[in-house]
Amino acid sequence: MNNDIILAIITSTLRLSVPVMLAAVGCSFSTRAGVTAFGCEGMMAAGAIFAVIGSDFTGSKWIGVLLAVLAGMLVSSLHAVLHVKYKVNATLSGMSVNLLGAALGALALKLVWKVSGMSPEVAAFSKIAATPSLSWMARIPVIGYVLGEQSLFFLITIVVVIVGWVFLYKTTFGLRMRMVGENPVAANTVGINTVRYKYMGVLVCGLLSGLAGAFLSLVGMNRYIMGMTAGRGYVAMVINNLGASNPIGSALSALFFGFFDCLQFVFQGVRTPSQILMMLPYVFTLIICVGNTKRSKGPAGVGQHFDS
Amino acid sequence: MNEHSRKRVSDGVMMFGRSALALLVALLIGGVVISLGGYSFVEVYTAIFKGSLGTSRGMLLSLATATPLMFTGLGFAIGIKVGIVNTGLEGQLYMGGLTAALVGIYVDFLPGPTHAAVTMLAGAIGGGAVGLLMGWFRTRFGAPEVITGIMLNSIITYFTGYLVNGPLKPAEAASPQTAPILKSAELSRLASKSQLTTALIVCVILCILIYLLQRRTIWGFKMTAVGMNPLAAKVAGINGSQMYLAALVLSGAMAGLGGAALVQGVFKRFVDIISNGYGFQGIPVSALAAHNPLGVIFAAILFGVLKAGATMVNQSTTIPFEFVDMVQALVVVFVAAPSIILSPIQKIRSFIKKKDSGPAAAGQGGAA
Repeated sequence: MNNDIILAIITSTLRLSVPVMLAAVGCSFSTRAGVTAFGCEGMMAAGAIFAVIGSDFTGSKWIGVLLAVLAGMLVSSLHAVLHVKYKVNATLSGMSVNLLGAALGALALKLVWKVSGMSPEVAAFSKIAATPSLSWMARIPVIGYVLGEQSLFFLITIVVVIVGWVFLYKTTFGLRMRMVGENPVAANTVGINTVRYKYMGVLVCGLLSGLAGAFLSLVGMNRYIMGMTAGRGYVAMVINNLGASNPIGSALSALFFGFFDCLQFVFQGVRTPSQILMMLPYVFTLIICVGNTKRSKGPAGVGQHFDS
Repeated sequence: MNEHSRKRVSDGVMMFGRSALALLVALLIGGVVISLGGYSFVEVYTAIFKGSLGTSRGMLLSLATATPLMFTGLGFAIGIKVGIVNTGLEGQLYMGGLTAALVGIYVDFLPGPTHAAVTMLAGAIGGGAVGLLMGWFRTRFGAPEVITGIMLNSIITYFTGYLVNGPLKPAEAASPQTAPILKSAELSRLASKSQLTTALIVCVILCILIYLLQRRTIWGFKMTAVGMNPLAAKVAGINGSQMYLAALVLSGAMAGLGGAALVQGVFKRFVDIISNGYGFQGIPVSALAAHNPLGVIFAAILFGVLKAGATMVNQSTTIPFEFVDMVQALVVVFVAAPSIILSPIQKIRSFIKKKDSGPAAAGQGGAA
């Protein structure tokens, strides 16, 4: 294998890991607060479509990102209300959120642009190497080339992962949130408002999933395409599980998915049929899910409420 | 009427009221959203119902659209009774369609009706096999069926996509598809120039059979017990794993039959995309039916009417028929948590009551 292919694999692995990484860190927060993050897919879809709407209407990709984050949080708050307030089974409430997210995308395409399938192209993020204020990074020796091929989102993601880890493991807030996830009854006994922490966990999940959605539409494609989340919300859950609901573990695990996801682009046109290559990331996720569930160390009190 | 059956009837009425309310509010919100997009609320709904119920062609289309929804809705209802959220219906439908197509194309020695029946059975086996795999993952490895289902959906659709683009594609075909199935494997149509086939009758019969299975047999009782409280069922000596497996196989078989119905009745071959997310639309169908197999019949027809109406309208004017998807999603939300609708109503009611009783209480205070 020559150097070009190895470089291509590294750059596209990092690039394709970003959305799953962001969403998986979101899942870590949600799971640590004791709420299974089944609604991730819907939050991502909402983020993806609203990023494009924001970018299209204002011409500013940053407004798009802001809108995506807000949309993700709005959708996640529905998941939180259903599960935390009305005690609907997290699986079912997550599925309804996912259905809603997908429907929102389809409907918005029709209502905003009168199209179906995909939106028009909008202002989007370019590579770091092509961004004037950041292009110096591409000239850093050794990692410069790989870094230059990434987008600003890559840097944001690194910050999110580190801040997320510090938040969960080095602050009182994080300690309390983890306690709510481990044992909501005990947490309630010592005076922690478990409902509030659960809401916050889910909202952070919505925020980061919305950001992941914005990456898909504003970095990956420059537009919204129906079904572009392609199950990545569920993948993020599995990845989070593999990373033991720890932001750093989740981020590292996401690299595996990114690797399998990039093969279809790197080996495009090489004799293997494209569908088989496209299948690989899902086969990988399925194997991880089946092999890892029993021995994964998630919080003990997932799905429990303090008063039940 | 004894106490027990009276309670069952009143429960039924409650369930019906809950679903009707959920649907009504969902339709209302859907209407508000399309008016935000600049369409007239009333116009859209009258056009939809005129389109689907006003003409015999519309009615036939409604029933034809309802058929796959009924299969997947029934599949979801079977799973949820045992506490299984089968998200793999889409993949099971594709696998069922594929196996049905293979039997329909290559088994050429059977006479007409038998061939069609065997082909449908093949579809059920294909879908059921995927369900069995998910059940094995769940019972042996503890892998949540929600995730394995979604992953299998992608894997199976890519796999079938590979087959129809490569090995199974006839040389003369321009688009990705298999060779046509034999005439003997096709389902007979219930009306000329319509996609409504005998599959609908098969599905209605299955809904009734599953209802009887759940309500009148020991297996059904065990399934319900596991679904209601897995721990209590275990204590009572019911093998939960067996029930999960059985439910997933049965659920997958229904989705597989849905795929077979599409192949044998609509496309007459297996094509790249045989389903427009019918697998996921089974969830709202089942939810609206309060996960009751008999209710699934009506819920599927209702969504069929909405969808067909929207398509009929769409041929003449442009109406965002995607809003039906949103109505469906909202139905799931409201059926799952009826309090979202009910608690504001109760708050308003108690607010009004407080207002009424306010002066009376004040009067009493004065007298004392």
